[in-house]
Amino acid sequence: MKDRKVVCRCEDLTEEDIIKAIEEGYDDLESLKRYTGATTGPCQGKGCLMHLIRILSQKTGKKPEEIGVTTQRQPVNPVPLYVLAEGEYE
Amino acid sequence: MSELKVAVIGGGIAGLSAAYFLAKSGAEVEVFEQRYLLYGASGRNSGGLTVQFNDEELIKLALRSLDLYDELQSEVKFNFLLRKDGYLKIANKNDEAKLESEASLLKKFGVKIEILNQNEVKELVPDINTKAFDLAYYFSKGGTVFPWPVIWGLARGCKALGVKVYDYTPATVVVENGSVKGVQTLDGLHKADFVINAAGAWSNEVSKSAGVELDNKIFKENICVTESLRPYLDPYIFDVSNNAYLSQSMRGEIVGGVVGREIDQIDKKGELDPLIRYAKFATNLIPKLKGLSVLRQWVGVYDLGKNGKPVIGFTKVKGFVQLNGFGRHGMSLGLAAGEKVAEMVLKK
Ligand SMILES: Cc1cc2nc3c(=O)[nH]c(=O)nc-3n(C[C@H](O)[C@H](O)[C@H](O)COP(=O)(O)OP(=O)(O)OC[C@H]3O[C@@H](n4cnc5c(N)ncnc54)[C@H](O)[C@@H]3O)c2cc1C
Repeated sequence: MKDRKVVCRCEDLTEEDIIKAIEEGYDDLESLKRYTGATTGPCQGKGCLMHLIRILSQKTGKKPEEIGVTTQRQPVNPVPLYVLAEGEYE
Repeated sequence: MSELKVAVIGGGIAGLSAAYFLAKSGAEVEVFEQRYLLYGASGRNSGGLTVQFNDEELIKLALRSLDLYDELQSEVKFNFLLRKDGYLKIANKNDEAKLESEASLLKKFGVKIEILNQNEVKELVPDINTKAFDLAYYFSKGGTVFPWPVIWGLARGCKALGVKVYDYTPATVVVENGSVKGVQTLDGLHKADFVINAAGAWSNEVSKSAGVELDNKIFKENICVTESLRPYLDPYIFDVSNNAYLSQSMRGEIVGGVVGREIDQIDKKGELDPLIRYAKFATNLIPKLKGLSVLRQWVGVYDLGKNGKPVIGFTKVKGFVQLNGFGRHGMSLGLAAGEKVAEMVLKK
């Protein structure tokens, strides 16, 4: 078997998977994230976002500054529902 | 007849559906999306599909949309990750009249809503806490769709028919002597015979640029997903009395939230209060979910016509067409609404 360059461990995505998606036209970071699922697993992008930006930059010739970053969503780390359910509101 | 030119503002389910059906009939169509596809509510929702409405027009649109999901999915060759595993409305006694009137209206359309007892609900949803509700109204042909492939699939179908879909391209309406001339973007004027306002929560502003008052209400809704579980929860569950909902996506995540609240100005900041209320609802309804962790929460904004209904049709400005105001039900109604607007425009 060929060496697999794993980019996103949560969603099991290789560098080729990402490149293929870019070639299919999902060539802005927001669309690429959603189409591949990268950055949406348990690590929420902590492990893969920089790789995505690097690959996008290499493929499209855009600078990382132009590509930007995805919105960091709360919670920063996973929180169990029973913990949240203890909270108070209003 | 020279070729009909149509500009669609908004790359959500409504705009893309209209664009698709117009292009299928030979119109020359351009779609303008201010950011990326999925930026609007169509990319941020929970994908619940039902026909359980208290209004004949909505029921017709919802029934037609369910058929269109099947048709379009094979036409555009894209898997929408659609599961027709049912839509379950639960409620306490106080809301019985509401659910009853929906069910009896649906009877006229030959649609059967099953009223389930607690044991039947338990069969459908193992581990559900039957003390959390009094009533259960079940539409077996409803279900859940993953919104992203719906939008990508529609966009792909549009492009195959020659539609130009411009992302990162905000547009405003250009009107001259009471008729639309086209839309204005940063790169200039795109001429069109018709301009369709399918801008979701931004429809009021788009309408204003055409000089037409709209006054849709704007809502903000927080929603979250947990880690994945093996598939086990079939129906989409909507609690009418608590205004909260949950379902399991095809990825196995539990997706849910509490229904949004009206806001004056669009803002997309996540909030803790709705998350706490949702966690209380979810752990009470299905106690087994307690240990599941929330991975991600986000916000979507949507618009509702000021009479509580979608706004679909022509305006006082010739060629300017509304296709917005779908509230919390655009995934259930949007495909058929887009088809309907396409037919109206083609007939003119
Ligand atoms: C959290 C949440 C859960 C939901 N759950 C469900 C559900 O279970 N079932 C259901 O049926 N519905 C649900 N909905 C509602 C549904 O998502 C919406 O009704 C539907 O997506 C609206 O589609 P639309 O095409 O009208 O608008 P949108 O999808 O918002 O599309 C409008 C697009 O127009 C673009 N735009 C705006 N202004 C301009 C401009 N000037 N130029 C260019 N582009 C512009 C926007 O960027 C946007 O992408 C939910 C919504 C939310 C937020």
